[in-house]
Amino acid sequence: MTRPAATAPVLTRSIATSPNRPTSRRKYQRYNALQTRPRCSHQPRLSAISRRRYHSHDHPAPAGPFTPAEAALLSAAYHHVPSHGFTPESLALGARDAGLLDISPSILRDGAFSLIRWHLHTQRASLAGKAEKLAAAEKDKPMTVAEKVEALTWERLKGNVEAGIVGRWQEALAIMAQPSYVPTSVKELAQLADEIVYLAGDVSVDPSWYTKRASLSAIYAAAELFQTTDQSPEFRETRAFLRRRLDEASQAGGAMRSIGEWIGFNAGAAVNVLRSKGVRI
Amino acid sequence: MTSARPLWQPLRHCQRHGNLLAQARKFHQARPISSSTVASAPHPQQSQTTSSSDYDPPSPPPPLNNNNHNNNQPPPKPKKPLTPDQQAFLSSALRVNQAGELAATLIYTAQTPPVVAREPHLRPLMRHMYDQEAGHLATFNSLIARHRVRPTALYPLWSALATGLGWATGVMGREAAMACTEAVETEIGGHYNAQIRRLLEIVSEWEAEGYDVGNEFRDLIGTLRRIRDEELEHLDHAVEHDAKKAEPHWLLTGVIRAGCRGAIWVSERV
Repeated sequence: MTRPAATAPVLTRSIATSPNRPTSRRKYQRYNALQTRPRCSHQPRLSAISRRRYHSHDHPAPAGPFTPAEAALLSAAYHHVPSHGFTPESLALGARDAGLLDISPSILRDGAFSLIRWHLHTQRASLAGKAEKLAAAEKDKPMTVAEKVEALTWERLKGNVEAGIVGRWQEALAIMAQPSYVPTSVKELAQLADEIVYLAGDVSVDPSWYTKRASLSAIYAAAELFQTTDQSPEFRETRAFLRRRLDEASQAGGAMRSIGEWIGFNAGAAVNVLRSKGVRI
Repeated sequence: MTSARPLWQPLRHCQRHGNLLAQARKFHQARPISSSTVASAPHPQQSQTTSSSDYDPPSPPPPLNNNNHNNNQPPPKPKKPLTPDQQAFLSSALRVNQAGELAATLIYTAQTPPVVAREPHLRPLMRHMYDQEAGHLATFNSLIARHRVRPTALYPLWSALATGLGWATGVMGREAAMACTEAVETEIGGHYNAQIRRLLEIVSEWEAEGYDVGNEFRDLIGTLRRIRDEELEHLDHAVEHDAKKAEPHWLLTGVIRAGCRGAIWVSERV
């Protein structure tokens, strides 16, 4: 958990968010010396622990990449996102709400991006509870895996609405598209797709494991982008968009499966014909 | 060839490979997982776990079926979270096992028709070995899905290579097919033993620190041991059925074993 991360670019980023920002390299060094946390005790980057690893049900790893201090600050700042966006202002207001010093947002190496990560992480973590509710509601009428995938993806999109960040999400996408944040953002998307497919009860462990997650990631990203410009009541258009994309994906998957079956059947038939002719294969 | 005992009985008379199994047995007898060592272990030192403070242990597991337990039942001990290293080991272990069992089922599937066409009396043996491998594959498929491990990305490649290997050795004749089984199962047996050893190290570390060991790990070790024994049983069958008489035996087994090691190395990573 406490793997020391390479922190040189990271520290400068955390400084960039703090108000008393030094200008020269010399001052940076002195400023670094004043930081309460030593360089190497920084939290590992999300990428270091987000690799898909053995998930133990008996010996679970502690959840979440955030320290308690970061969690307190971010959860307070999260309430200011609808009004102030994913910005340093929200972090500053959150720090005040949490009763922390104004300087405290500088513990976040990624500044405003940490707030986005907090949003992605908490929304993803809340899916497990929603899946349980879904399972309880659908006791009498069991849903297929595809239906559950659609329902959970829709729950996740509704999470954006409930958090009130739909109007701010384009700003967030702009921050996530910055080169240094792209790997973490893509990993978050992949983790979300993995979570949805897992919670939907899909147990395939062949190459479709990859295609299912990849197509769901693409569909989710598209639907989320669609949602930011959707003006329809209760985001009806977004729901219809999501349903159309998932239908298309399942049709494409069905076609691929049919082609594969056809090839396999014919290959098997050809081998058997040759064997019946006495060829020793 | 015409053995008096049924084919599915393990044959323990093979000198060289009997040793492998005996060694494995000896090793595990020396280090059993027993909760009596848990009971006598010191109390957990919370200072050793920096990360266990921010996680609530799940509800205690059902009581373990051990008879040598004292009357004064100790309170349920905490379970130690897995370290990233251990998680990485477990995911690569399950991934490589699944890939290996997939390859094994495909090898037997491809071998059976050419071998059985020439030697029909081998049909029950091939069937028996295939059925066991298919069972192993189902076990690892469910474990991978349950523990959310990424399956190997080279699934189509392993399928093609395994089918090709099985078919080629099957066409070369019974001895070559058995030599292939011998080579593969030798590698696999050693591989499973290494995994079991590592798991027992993890478990004994937990026990020494006074943590509880969940049924998940006991079951996993039990499953791996059972599968290891069945793989080594296939090895015995192969040697029993003239694997050593394959024409360039050293070349055939050498190439296949090297291929196995390479495939294991790659599957652990990709």
